[in-house]
Amino acid sequence: MIALSVRDLSLAIGRTNIVDAISFDVAPGEVLALVGESGCGKSVTAQAIMRLLPAAIRQTGGEITLGATSLSNLPARAMRDLRGRQIAMIFQEPQSALDPLATVGNQIAEALRQPLAKVRAEVRQMLVEVGISDPDRRIDQHPFELSGGMCQRVMIAIALIARPAVLIADEPTTALDVTIQAQILALLRRLAAERQTAVVLITHDMGVVADIADRVAVMYAGRVAETGPTAAVFATPAHPYTALLLASIPRLSDVPKSALAVIDGQVPQPADYGAGCRFAGRCPRADRRCVAETPALRPVADGRLVACFHPVGG
Amino acid sequence: METILEITDLCVHFPGRGGAPVRAVDGVSLHIAPGETLGLVGESGCGKSTIANAAVGLLAPTSGRVVVAGTDIVGASPRLLREVRAQVQMVFQDPITSLNPRMTIGTAIGESLLVRGRAAGAALRARVGELLQEVGLRPDHADRYPHQFSGGQRQRVVIARALALRPALLVCDEAVSALDVSVRAQILNLLVALQARYGMAMLFVSHDLAVVRHVCDRVAVMYLGQLAEIAPRDALFASPRHPYTRALIAAVPDPDPAVQRARVSVPLVGEIPSPANPPPGCRFHTRCPVAVARCAVDVPALRSVGAAMVACHLA
Repeated sequence: MIALSVRDLSLAIGRTNIVDAISFDVAPGEVLALVGESGCGKSVTAQAIMRLLPAAIRQTGGEITLGATSLSNLPARAMRDLRGRQIAMIFQEPQSALDPLATVGNQIAEALRQPLAKVRAEVRQMLVEVGISDPDRRIDQHPFELSGGMCQRVMIAIALIARPAVLIADEPTTALDVTIQAQILALLRRLAAERQTAVVLITHDMGVVADIADRVAVMYAGRVAETGPTAAVFATPAHPYTALLLASIPRLSDVPKSALAVIDGQVPQPADYGAGCRFAGRCPRADRRCVAETPALRPVADGRLVACFHPVGG
Repeated sequence: METILEITDLCVHFPGRGGAPVRAVDGVSLHIAPGETLGLVGESGCGKSTIANAAVGLLAPTSGRVVVAGTDIVGASPRLLREVRAQVQMVFQDPITSLNPRMTIGTAIGESLLVRGRAAGAALRARVGELLQEVGLRPDHADRYPHQFSGGQRQRVVIARALALRPALLVCDEAVSALDVSVRAQILNLLVALQARYGMAMLFVSHDLAVVRHVCDRVAVMYLGQLAEIAPRDALFASPRHPYTRALIAAVPDPDPAVQRARVSVPLVGEIPSPANPPPGCRFHTRCPVAVARCAVDVPALRSVGAAMVACHLA
């Protein structure tokens, strides 16, 4: 069963393509990570799924399906009804995503489209589930009275109280300290499993991916470079970009002060995307074909797909 | 012992809302030897950036001593401070806000050499070209403006500017935190290589333990304005003595699912208390998994345990 399906999604600013025909599926209870560096298109993909794209960005192709419902041609009103009920989203900075003038309880109740007085017990129970201590006091407090970690717990409560089938989490722990991040990741993992929520986790942090994602899609310059089960992708990365990215991360187990692998140059701007593989200009394995032709995603070992003419170990 | 930076009993308190001062740094002592890299780690509000700012004289401590290259900079005259600043330079997190958008990067890099009369004219231009090459840019980049560079290149420019006076101490405050993973590796390699070449000392402030482990010789762990533990790198990571150090290391997700999922780490419970109203006794006792009654009452002094200095009754 598939909770969310994205097929050949393409996005553009004016005539400049920024996301090029990306596809993925997420099953109930599964965590799929979209990982990549700034500008790879991971956040706009999330916005496209929610139909919350900035005015300058258009969807130029593809199909997004939530359960049995196609979202791409859904009227705005019907889409609004789905948000919060069928599909919800949490963001990087919880303090700026919450309403500063509304109490925690009122904001969570709003997700149920009910007055707080009517659903107070349910809201209180949700605060308990997201690990907020002293829920009877917190329910009537405002966001400024809570820490960043607590605000993110409140965001998760708002997102999950209506039991949506899909949760989009856009860098949910990036603004948090590492001990608080560990708490929030453990919470997301537990709630996704218990409630069978399909989670699309957007992150730049390979450590976060390794921690909670069942599957991962590595994005580069608006395309999926490689996708598959997290364990397989990390153990034997097939795309040269994935391999270099993983090798460039300092780890607690590496030799201090040893040279880290580097990817020469920088991510190309959308206006400079060429005809071929968008990583070709920085890739140590690239040849003439890579510059001229776009590699399609094709299957390699362990249930993986890789978009490369010269995959590592293949 | 010869030191390039010696901080003794440093307190930095800021006026807080409702009277109680925010005790950003509360009685911290540490030193850095020439050529050594000391890492300063901890979570938001632990005081690590405040110490970095105090070390370069960017803020006046409430009390304590900050001795840079033999000169106490607390209460020093602007003239003396100016002399000392040739010895200590700083790199901040966000390079775009560290560079004047209307100044070419060549002018920015050469400014300190010019105003101190160390170089001018063709000699200055040649020196700026050398500095650009040292950080992996080209001499002809000197005539460009900051907006013409990527984030990683701008951080290279900021590093070149910091190196212009050949400082004995480089203070890096979250210098790679705003950079993408692949670019971060480039800048870390550059810092490690430059330090090996010039033998300068570094105070490396970061929230990222894996990065700190990669570049530092010794590591100081801070919690709520105080030192929890300070130890040589390998001792700290192999056998962390303070429960907070252990929790911090355990909370770093390992970018290897096989390793990460085999770990049995229990996340720390609770939130970081406010530095305006720190808990009595050991400041970590409210979140500490092994705290006993004494921890809520007695302030643990920093004492020597093996290779480390630890502020914990139970270490």
